[in-house]
Amino acid sequence: MKATQNPLPETDGDLAKMRKVMEESADVCRAIASGEVDAFVVGDDNSRRVLLLATAYQRYRQLVERMAQGAVTVTGQGNILYANQKFADMLGIPLAQLYTAPLEAYVGMGDRAQLSSFLIMSARNSQIELALSRRDGTTLPVRLALATYSDGYATLLATDLRPMQWPSLTVDALDSIRDSLEKLNQGAISKDAAARAALDRISEEINGLARMIDEMLDVGGRAGRA
Amino acid sequence: MTTANERWDLRLYTAGQSPKSLAALSNLKRICDEHLAGRYSIEVIDLMKNPRLAKDDEIVAIPTLVRKLPAPLRKVIGDLSNEERALVGLQLRPHK
Repeated sequence: MKATQNPLPETDGDLAKMRKVMEESADVCRAIASGEVDAFVVGDDNSRRVLLLATAYQRYRQLVERMAQGAVTVTGQGNILYANQKFADMLGIPLAQLYTAPLEAYVGMGDRAQLSSFLIMSARNSQIELALSRRDGTTLPVRLALATYSDGYATLLATDLRPMQWPSLTVDALDSIRDSLEKLNQGAISKDAAARAALDRISEEINGLARMIDEMLDVGGRAGRA
Repeated sequence: MTTANERWDLRLYTAGQSPKSLAALSNLKRICDEHLAGRYSIEVIDLMKNPRLAKDDEIVAIPTLVRKLPAPLRKVIGDLSNEERALVGLQLRPHK
């Protein structure tokens, strides 16, 4: 008869090892049942890999990563549990440095009391405006709005309050296109009637866009002055 | 349970920035600052980057915390959100 590969434990040492394995297995089961783990190591020595549990939260995280606003989740103690790349960009700090750091470390001294109150009262107050302290020593005015609050964790959305920069860039780009069209009009293409008509239509559309942006800037300016 | 000058070496196995991994790191820092201030070190091992390292401490579920020092080696599985369980697991508090 062939000898068994897993003989029964014979010594106290064997029993102690078995007890440890059993306790650890029970602990893994408990952690899974209570939702305290979200990944597992699968495979053997040659093909070991990590299997992440697919949850709705992961899809939510993907959405947050693509947002144009900064997003940051803080614990009840005010430490950063999670932040998206946009929030790290706002601070000019590598994302990995933000994890577990106190959020107030990235807020101007004068605004820290306001932030602290906001986090404590976050169930009732919806938003505050304050200045973030950037790594380069500058500050960034933002509006912090409470997005969700559950299990003691608050997720805040940070909106950059600086005046929009894109309209002036767009106007510059349109001016550049207009110059190019003018040069084309004066060149060889000016002899082709169909090409000239097409260029005229494009010019009209560009001028219309420029007027629209001018009006938007004017409205923005008036709103800012009001 | 622990002597005043005893050095604590802890190793936290994580899966990148998974929610439970980030929660475990945050909870661990809070627990250490409260109970082991100035005499602990935390090594974070991201198994998403190198899954083979799971073999060293026979890691099955993530996050898992391993107490390397003081001996004996201890493991606490989960995000450490249950502080009482984490303290008992690390032997910072006696089992009731």
